[in-house]
Amino acid sequence: MLIEVFGPGCLKCQTMEKHAKEAAAQSGGAHEVVKVSDYAAMVARGVLSTPALAIEGQLKFQGRVASTDEILALIKV
Amino acid sequence: MPDGLTQPSAFRRGGWLLLALPLWVVLYAVNHAVSEWLAFRLLGLAPKSHLGEAVAFLFYDTPKVLLLLTLVVFIVTFIQTFVNPGRVRDALSKRRPGLGNALASLFGIVTPFCSCSAVPLFIGFLRAGVPLGVTFSFLVAAPMINEVALGMLFAMFGWKIAAIYAGTGLAIAFTAGLIIGQLKMERYLEGWVQDALKGPAMGELEEATPTLPARIDLAVQGVQEIVGKVWPYILAGIAVGAFIHGYVPESFMASLLGKNHWYSVPLAVLIGVPLYSNAAGVMPIVEALLGKGAALGSTLAFMMAVIGLSLPETIILSKVMRPRLIATFVSVVSIGILLVGYLFNAIL
Repeated sequence: MLIEVFGPGCLKCQTMEKHAKEAAAQSGGAHEVVKVSDYAAMVARGVLSTPALAIEGQLKFQGRVASTDEILALIKV
Repeated sequence: MPDGLTQPSAFRRGGWLLLALPLWVVLYAVNHAVSEWLAFRLLGLAPKSHLGEAVAFLFYDTPKVLLLLTLVVFIVTFIQTFVNPGRVRDALSKRRPGLGNALASLFGIVTPFCSCSAVPLFIGFLRAGVPLGVTFSFLVAAPMINEVALGMLFAMFGWKIAAIYAGTGLAIAFTAGLIIGQLKMERYLEGWVQDALKGPAMGELEEATPTLPARIDLAVQGVQEIVGKVWPYILAGIAVGAFIHGYVPESFMASLLGKNHWYSVPLAVLIGVPLYSNAAGVMPIVEALLGKGAALGSTLAFMMAVIGLSLPETIILSKVMRPRLIATFVSVVSIGILLVGYLFNAIL
């Protein structure tokens, strides 16, 4: 699955990216974690509050850091 | 859905909450007695002495502010799980100046906001057709009327001071947005922002609504995150407060920040702006200032300058605005804070 992490690079956004990578590794499936730090790209996707995370193009979390378990629960098949 | 995973942990947390509340009440109730015992009995400091008063303030205020902060952040974060920036944006889109500015200022109080999301939020609002002036009302209100500060003021000084803070903050945000809207400053946005506004609107991402256990989890996370992050600021604030409380004579404070001097309000703002703290850290200083006879208007101006006009946020906003717009924003807000200071020094 495609996991996108949106954030300009603040501490919270880095934590979110780390959690996403951990979740991707733990689930064992084929996942791709992409970090989006360009403001124009975020805005184009409708992200209003960072950090945000989308799975397969659907926004799941916005304005807070999701835990590894929360992300894992969403990408498990 | 992740319910299977979040449910057990939320129930466990629910059990903790039932234990935590009585514990909180007991700690808060015995705090004053314990702090005096520590300062005057255990350490043997003399009451009414400079050092004794400063140390007693330190022992009393540290647990008090941390306890209040924990409760306030829990309640505030829980309420915020119901406010979604996307819905706020939709509610403000295409609003006329006036009503739009008023709504934006009100939403600014409750919307979760951190300065690192100021940029996407700012552009997202403009793209959705929220007028520039209305967006500014939101952008002024969001940091200036900090929801944690509001809760702390209510808990520490009562509803009147909390209401004065919220009311004047709303008035500043409303007026500043109205003025900036009238000045038609859209051309002072950075080039890439103007391009982003012209681009076609892409499909929006959808967001899941959290369940009640998830909201409680979020509130607990908020407490861990915020209290874990701000305690150094609180300790610094309490240290400054303790020094003022123990060593600064009342006559000195009255002559510096008292109500009878024209310079006390600008002075409070000048001291406040470069001080980068957060809402919780500034509370012990406010407490000590008011206790030492500083006028309410000057103190309010000081607090608003610390919380509402921060250097880091201005730097982040300079990515989207040209210097002229930034300068207008900072001056309009500063003038508003000065007026609030003078007003309350004059009528109280």
